[in-house]
Amino acid sequence: MAASPMFWRIIRRLLTANYGRLFVILLALGAGAAVTSALLNLQIDAKKRLTTEFRALGANVIVAPRTTTTDEANGSTLDESLLSQLPSQYEAHSVPAVGFLYVIGEIAKAGEIHFEPAVIAGTQGHGLAEIRPGRRTQYLANLESDPASCEAGAKAAEQFKVQAGDVLQLRNQGREANCKIFAVVQTGGPEDTQIFTNLKTAQTLANLPGRISLIQLSVTGTPASVTSFVSALAQRLPEADVHGIKQFTEAEGRIYDRISGILSATVLLVLFLTSLCVMAGMSNVAVERKNDVGLMKAIGGSIEKVVHLFLTEAILLGIAGGVVGSAIGLLVSIWLGKAVFGVAAQPRLIVYPISVVLTIITSIASAFPLRRLASIRPASVFRGEE
Amino acid sequence: MFLRLVADSFTRRPRRKILSMAALAMGMAVATAALSVSLDVGDRLAEEFRSLGANLLVTPQADSLPLEIGGVDYRPANAGAYLPEANLGKLKTIFWRFNIMAFAPILQSPGQLLPGNVTDHKPSDYTDIQILGTWSNHSVPVPDGTTYVTGIEKTNPWWTVDGRWFHEGQTECVVGSLLAKRKGLHIGDKILLNVPDPSKMVQLFLPYMVTGILSTGSSEEDAVVVSLADAQKLARLPQVYRRLYVSALTKPEDAFARKDPKTMTPAEFDKWYCTPYISAIALQISEELKGTDVRVIRRVAEGEGNVLSRVRTLLWLVTFAALLAAALAVGASAAASVIERRTEIGLMKALGANSGLVGVLLAAEQLLLAFVGGGIGYAVGILLARALGERIFGFTPEPKLFVLLVILALAALITLIGSAYPLLRASRYDPAPILRGE
Repeated sequence: MAASPMFWRIIRRLLTANYGRLFVILLALGAGAAVTSALLNLQIDAKKRLTTEFRALGANVIVAPRTTTTDEANGSTLDESLLSQLPSQYEAHSVPAVGFLYVIGEIAKAGEIHFEPAVIAGTQGHGLAEIRPGRRTQYLANLESDPASCEAGAKAAEQFKVQAGDVLQLRNQGREANCKIFAVVQTGGPEDTQIFTNLKTAQTLANLPGRISLIQLSVTGTPASVTSFVSALAQRLPEADVHGIKQFTEAEGRIYDRISGILSATVLLVLFLTSLCVMAGMSNVAVERKNDVGLMKAIGGSIEKVVHLFLTEAILLGIAGGVVGSAIGLLVSIWLGKAVFGVAAQPRLIVYPISVVLTIITSIASAFPLRRLASIRPASVFRGEE
Repeated sequence: MFLRLVADSFTRRPRRKILSMAALAMGMAVATAALSVSLDVGDRLAEEFRSLGANLLVTPQADSLPLEIGGVDYRPANAGAYLPEANLGKLKTIFWRFNIMAFAPILQSPGQLLPGNVTDHKPSDYTDIQILGTWSNHSVPVPDGTTYVTGIEKTNPWWTVDGRWFHEGQTECVVGSLLAKRKGLHIGDKILLNVPDPSKMVQLFLPYMVTGILSTGSSEEDAVVVSLADAQKLARLPQVYRRLYVSALTKPEDAFARKDPKTMTPAEFDKWYCTPYISAIALQISEELKGTDVRVIRRVAEGEGNVLSRVRTLLWLVTFAALLAAALAVGASAAASVIERRTEIGLMKALGANSGLVGVLLAAEQLLLAFVGGGIGYAVGILLARALGERIFGFTPEPKLFVLLVILALAALITLIGSAYPLLRASRYDPAPILRGE
C-alpha cells in the first residue's frame, strides 16, 4: 500500500493530538528500553567482572615436575627457564606467575645461636600478592627491592620473635645466608609458617642453581577458558605437569554457574515482564482509540488500512522510545557498574540495537489489541455505547 | 453513593479495569519475585561458597613450626604439639554454633605401606607414604547431649571418592589416586599399614581394606586416608589431632569487621561479637578450645567476601530495576486510565461534585485497583520466585509476610503517584467544554 500524504498526515495528527498521552506512551516505552539496555549491558559486564573477582582466591593453576614423590622434601625440581616461557597475558588479563623453590632449612634471629627448622620459599616472578592472597603487615617498602630482603609468615615471625626490619640467619647443610625482613604476611595457610626469600638465596641454600619446585599461576577467565589455558600450557611445557587446583577451579566453576544463572534468570524475568508491563500500559491507551477507529470506518477506511495506520504509529513510537531509552540505559549501566564493581561498566554497542529492536517489537505487539477494533460498529460508538 | 460509584466503575467496564490490573499485577509480580529471591539468595550463595572448603584453621598454640610443603608436613612424627579430640563437640556450643557448617580434625603421620598379599616381608618392600587420619560421616557428641554428624567430605567437598568413604571402626581406608595407580591398588584390595616405631625391633603392620580411591588435586592423592581413631592407633597417639579445619558461614567483612577488637568500645565489641564475622567466629572458637591458634584462611574468606558482597549489590540493583520498571509501567497505566475518563469527570462536576470529591473518588478507585492488583501480583510473584529458586539453587524461597506488605504499599504508592498529576488536572477541568466534546 502506497503511503499517501494523507496517511502521514493522519499519523502526525495521531501522535500530536494529545501530548499527555504521547508522553505516557513514550515514558512507558523509554523506561522499558532503558531498563532493558542497562540490565543487558550490566549482565554482560558482571559475568566478566566476576571472573576477575575470583582471583582473590589466589593461584588456580600449578606447574609442577612430572614425577612428584613426597618421599623427599627437596625432591624433583623444574628448570627456572620455564618461568620465561609462560604467557604473560591471557584473554586481555595479565597472568601473575611466580616460581617457588622450597627448602627446609634452619633459621634463627640474627645474634641468636639456637636454630630451628622452617620452610624457606624462594620466589621469583610477578604478582606474588595475587598468587598468595593475604595481609601484609609492618610493610617496609624501601627494603622490598633489596635482593637480600625477605618476608616472614605470621606464625614464623612469632616463633622466631622477629618483626619487619630484623635480620634472619638462614642455613642449610653448611650453606648460609642472611636476610632482612621487609614484611610479615598473614594468609591463614601454610604460608604463615614459611620465610619468603629471593629465588637466588633459596637456590644457593639448597645448592640447586637454576631450579624451582613449582610455578603457581592465577589465570582470570570463565571455568571453561581456564581449562583451555591449562591444556594449552600443558602442550607447550611437555616436561612439566600442568594442572588446575581442584579446590578452587571446581568451586569457582560451580559458583560462577550459579551466579551467572541467577543473573541471567533475573534479567530475563525483568525484561519479559517489563515488556509485558509496557504492553499492558499501551493496550490501555489503545482501547481508547475506539472513537478514532469508529470515525475512520464511518468515512470508509478499510480495517487493513486502519490497522496499518496504528502499526506505523506503534513503530514510530517504538523507535523514539527505544532510541532515547536505550541510550539512557547504557549511560546508567556505566554508572551502575561503578557502583557494583568499582569499575565503570564498558558500554557494549551490541546491546544498543538489541534493546531498540526489542522495544519496537514490544510496541508493535502492544498495538495488536487494535485488531479487536475490526468488529467495531461505528454507529454504536458514536451513539456512545461501548 | 460513593461506594456505588466506585463499584460501578469496576462492573461497568470490566475489560478496561482488568487491563490496568494486569499491568499492576505483572509489575508487582516481578517485584515480588525479585525481592523474594534477593532476600534469600545471599544466604544460599554463602552456603554455595562453602564448596571452597574450610575458612578457619585451628592448630595447637604451643606448636613447633610446621615444615609444610605442598600439604605434606615434613616434621618428624614426634615433633610438635597435639590437641585433644574430646573437646571438639564444644564447637557446636559457641554463640554462632549454627553457622559452623562442618569441621574435621586431621592427624598426619609418615608411615609405610605393604600390599596385603605379602606374608613374609622385608624392609625393601615398604613404600613410604603419608597416613592421614580424619573423620568421615562421624558423630560428634555435643556437650548439650545431642550429636552432630560431620566429616572431611563436608569441609573439603572437592575431595571425590571413587567407591565409598571408609566406615569408622571397620579397619577400612581410602587410597589416593596417584598412590593407587603407582601400586596397582583397587577397591576391595587389602593393604598393610604401619607408622614406624623406632623403639621396637619388629614393626607391627595392621591390615586395612581399600574402599575407595580418592582424588583431591593435591598431595592427598599420594596418601592413605583412614579414620582418625585408626590413625591415632597406628601413630600411637591416642585421642589427639594436629589440625582442625572449620567451615563456617560468615558475613563478608566490612570496615567495621576490620577494626581491632581490642580497640573497640564495649558496645562495639558486643556488636562485633554478635555478628557472624569470620574473625568473631575465630575468637569464639579459640575461647572454647583452649590452647589453640585459630587462623582465618584468607584466600578463602576474602575471595568469598569479595564475590558475595558484589553479587549482593548486583542483585539488589536488579531488584531495584525491576521495581522501577514496574513502577513506571503501573504509573503510566494509572495515568492513562485517568486521562481517558475526562467525560465522566466533567459530568460529575456538572452535577455538582467539587474537585476534592472527584479526586478522592478516583483515588479510592485507584487504591482498590492497587490492592487487588498488588495481591494478585504477589501470588504470581511467589510462584515465579519458587520456579526461579528451584531452577537455579534447588531451593524454594519462603513466602514472607514482609514482602507482601512491601508490595502492597508499593503498589498503592505507585498508583497514587502515577495518577496524581492527571488527577490534579482532572479536578481542575471545566466541565462545559468536556461535555461539549472539545
